[in-house]
Amino acid sequence: MMHKIYRYRNLSFKVPDETEVLLMVEFISDGNLGHTAINVPGSGDSEIENSGSVNIGIGSNLRGDKTTVSTEVANLIPQEDEIRVAYRLNGQLIKEHVNLKSEADKVKIILYIKFPEP
Amino acid sequence: MKLNIVCFLLALLPVWLTAQEKLSKLLPPSSPASGILGLQPTTVLAPKSYQALETALFSNFNNNSGSIVPNDFALEFTPYWTQNHSLSVDEYLYPKSSIDQVIRNSSFSIASTQSFLLGDSTLSNALAFGYRTTFYFGNNKDREAVELFTSQLSMDQKVESKIVSEAEYLIENKKTANQKEFMAAIRNTIINAVYESGKYGRLKEAEEFAEDILAKSALIPPLDTAAPDPFLDSLYSLIGQKLSTEIVFNQFKTYVLERYGFSLDVAYAGVLNFPANKFESSYIVRQSFWVTPTYRFKDKLGFLKVMGVIRYEWYNTGYYNSYFNGVKTYENNLDYGLSVAGEFMKFSLSIELVGRKSHSELPAGNDAEGNALYRKEQNTDFQYIASFNYNLTDQVVLSYSLGNRFEPVLNPHNTLVSLLMLNIGFGSPAKKDIDWEQ
Repeated sequence: MMHKIYRYRNLSFKVPDETEVLLMVEFISDGNLGHTAINVPGSGDSEIENSGSVNIGIGSNLRGDKTTVSTEVANLIPQEDEIRVAYRLNGQLIKEHVNLKSEADKVKIILYIKFPEP
Repeated sequence: MKLNIVCFLLALLPVWLTAQEKLSKLLPPSSPASGILGLQPTTVLAPKSYQALETALFSNFNNNSGSIVPNDFALEFTPYWTQNHSLSVDEYLYPKSSIDQVIRNSSFSIASTQSFLLGDSTLSNALAFGYRTTFYFGNNKDREAVELFTSQLSMDQKVESKIVSEAEYLIENKKTANQKEFMAAIRNTIINAVYESGKYGRLKEAEEFAEDILAKSALIPPLDTAAPDPFLDSLYSLIGQKLSTEIVFNQFKTYVLERYGFSLDVAYAGVLNFPANKFESSYIVRQSFWVTPTYRFKDKLGFLKVMGVIRYEWYNTGYYNSYFNGVKTYENNLDYGLSVAGEFMKFSLSIELVGRKSHSELPAGNDAEGNALYRKEQNTDFQYIASFNYNLTDQVVLSYSLGNRFEPVLNPHNTLVSLLMLNIGFGSPAKKDIDWEQ
């Protein structure tokens, strides 16, 4: 089965300077095993194992460079037909990735996110 | 003409299904409903495939018309897997309770035939309905194998995601001007990610890993900062190969499909006959309850599966007395036996040997005090059937069975089994089923 890379550019999330940003990765489909690494401007990079959430910093610290989020997902169970992963910032859905396993059952999902002022 | 059309459609079917790029391999048909209706000759119910929906067409070359048009079909549906539940791999492999196992593995089947023969040789409609579920009994070795695969794959994913995130950050934010600067910048990330993962015990080994990637990066498409994806994709491929992620993933996936150990299938099915071909005039003529323990061996014997069977079958003797005048049936039938199956790439072979003990209690008048008396009639029988199954594609299985079955209710001397079956899976949607614009 193919291994594929999915890139999602031009994502944006407006956030005030002092507001903390919580990134949530949710494995919606069954039987996924995965890991997510987040690179933010400056220090404060973080990771999430499988589904979970992490505080990536306050708005003012996320300006300038784009933040990159990279998730490795492998789907291991025969009953599941798709890989479906939701990314949320402070509870708001920013991207839902979906691909059929017939296309790839082991994928890299890469997000590029800008955090402008409101 | 009819034969030609069917042959043409059957020839097209594998091509069409291949074009849909389906997933896990389908297994030969074995639903409880088709079993009790006699559409499939074997007594042992093999474990269900992983398809949410599958159907089977049956055709018996022995019929008089010479046609291979199937008028019998079976359908099995597993509702749980039609929705997402965000189950982790651990939750999937080790359900918290037996109830979870029952719910996840519950499948419902129906089968129908227009050729249900009555005692006077008239054809009638019959409908069978079935249910089954599976219990898997994990053991320590299974746990150890799963933990090892999980930790190896997680470790590799952690390394890759950290390197990818940093590499994409450097390129997207134009932190490096060319490939040389980029490789120099990513080198430390590779060393730290590999060393911190614990994949290699010593820092020197992590440094050697990074140096090897740097050396091989000269052989991949060069970095074009205006269109960096081909270079980055090739770099990630190099890292994945060095980590052997694909090998670990494929081994884990295969193990999940073929976990060794003990499992137990429990199934029930009943047959509803419409002797006058009217819906309001129906009888439950036969009911079966199966218990099928299965053991899959490990390592070199991994291709081998041994299944036992205990089946209790109840016949509605009142119905048989009415519609099968003069034919002998036994109310209670207990089948017990064994099936050995070997799977070799695209084909599998199974042999089953099943014995049957039957008995009925028949009225034998009254005693001196007017109490009803009964006499017990008993019989024994034996069935042996070999089945050959071939996966035409991952979603189409052709099966052929040959052997000697239990004496049928009609024509008890006609025990030869020579049956061809076609099983078709509909478990996964095709690419066109997803709206990629969302």
